[in-house]
Amino acid sequence: MKTGTGNKIKLGIFVTSGVLIFIVAIYFLGQRQQLFNSTFRISSLFKDANGLAVGNNVRFDGINVGTVDKIQITSDTSVKVEMVIDESIRKFLKKGVKAIVGSEGLMGSKVVNISPGMSDEKEIQNNEIVESGASTNIDEILLNMQLASYNAVDITDNLGAIITNIRAGKGSVGKLFMDTTFANTLGQTMTNVEEGTEAAKHSFLLKGYFKDKEKAKAKELAKEKEAAKKKKDKGN
Amino acid sequence: MRTIIHQRPAKVADKNSSTMLKDFFIEVGLITTFAGHFFKELFKPPFEFKETFKQCFMVGNKSLLLVGLSGFIMGIVLTIQSRPGLELMGATSWLPGMDAQGIVREMGPAITCLICAGKVGSGIGAELASMRVSEQIDAMEVSGTKPFKYLVVTRVVATTLMIPLLVIVSDFISLIGAFFACNLKDSVSMPLFISEVFASIGFLDLFSATIKTVFFGFAIGLIGCYEGYNSSKGTEGVGKAANSAVVIGSLLVFILDMIAVQITSFFQ
Repeated sequence: MKTGTGNKIKLGIFVTSGVLIFIVAIYFLGQRQQLFNSTFRISSLFKDANGLAVGNNVRFDGINVGTVDKIQITSDTSVKVEMVIDESIRKFLKKGVKAIVGSEGLMGSKVVNISPGMSDEKEIQNNEIVESGASTNIDEILLNMQLASYNAVDITDNLGAIITNIRAGKGSVGKLFMDTTFANTLGQTMTNVEEGTEAAKHSFLLKGYFKDKEKAKAKELAKEKEAAKKKKDKGN
Repeated sequence: MRTIIHQRPAKVADKNSSTMLKDFFIEVGLITTFAGHFFKELFKPPFEFKETFKQCFMVGNKSLLLVGLSGFIMGIVLTIQSRPGLELMGATSWLPGMDAQGIVREMGPAITCLICAGKVGSGIGAELASMRVSEQIDAMEVSGTKPFKYLVVTRVVATTLMIPLLVIVSDFISLIGAFFACNLKDSVSMPLFISEVFASIGFLDLFSATIKTVFFGFAIGLIGCYEGYNSSKGTEGVGKAANSAVVIGSLLVFILDMIAVQITSFFQ
């Protein structure tokens, strides 16, 4: 009789724990789908749902605040997406909020991102239709990348042509790099300029100017030496 | 009055394919009649509550350790084996979600039920067969006790109720194993693991997995009882009954699983 009662208790514990695990799992799943929280609904009209599916998350400021409840085509150019949002978030959702379809990552599922509205406006109402924003489509990004790559091809073509001209010694830059007579002339010019400056130093018109400059330089050097000495003394 | 004994066709030593096919259909027909008889007896009073509780204890509690241990190992193995594949894509953060889907949708129900088909199915088959061999079932019929109700209905009800619970507990323990395995090479906190697990499964996964295990449990109990209750006389019959209970029970689990997947995919 005793073992019979013991077995019944053990069976009871097993059944209770099994049922409890099941209930907790349902609770967690329900919580994710906002089944047990008080909620409100908003909807938005999109041109393109971008692969959004019922059950996808709705995010506000990067936090999951609800789920997509219904998606229906209203006309040939618009899709109505209904969302269930946690009631406690309503105070942050002011008029002017925007719903944008985004994705969780390159391979992740789609999400609706809600961007904040005007802070001095009223809270949004239940069943309100909020504005939708243009989403970044991966195809659009790829299209832009394609245009960028075409431009890059043009740029490298032009660069190639310029380098060929330079190597052939065409144009002033080409002459600068490739023409040896041009380099010799340039060297001769520089020697001439150097000789001219030396002559100017000895001419009686500019002699005073160059002497004043030398004196100022010598004074500056002396000052620097004194400052270095003082520093050394302080250190000792 | 004998309640029910399904006379099986006499075994012929050299069977040709048409005889085998005929035997197969006869067997299917007999199992269906046996199931019909079970449902007829199920709702007819008096109800054998005490014996049902005892069988629930035998099926549920006595299998818990085996199911729990294999579930824990299953969780660890699944995680360790899935990791290299995900690592190639740099997606090891998907491990908890992938584990949850694998365990809750398929591995948990299938492996737990196969273990139960081995342990519980063979146990029921051997027990009833030895009762048949030692003429205890005949004695019960003579004494006016309804052996079908007392032996078959209670056992099938017990497996139908307890196996889904065993699967739920096994899934839970498997996920604990998966959590430990995830932390062998990565660092995943418990709240993050729970969040990832419930993000990757939905109500459909949980309910379809639980509902199909009710059918698995029913099949395991029914086949075990059928094979034991209708076993041939002699000690050889006991072994055969236990063996067939496991083989046919396991096969039925796979067949039902395939049907369940097809039905679930309609709703996805």
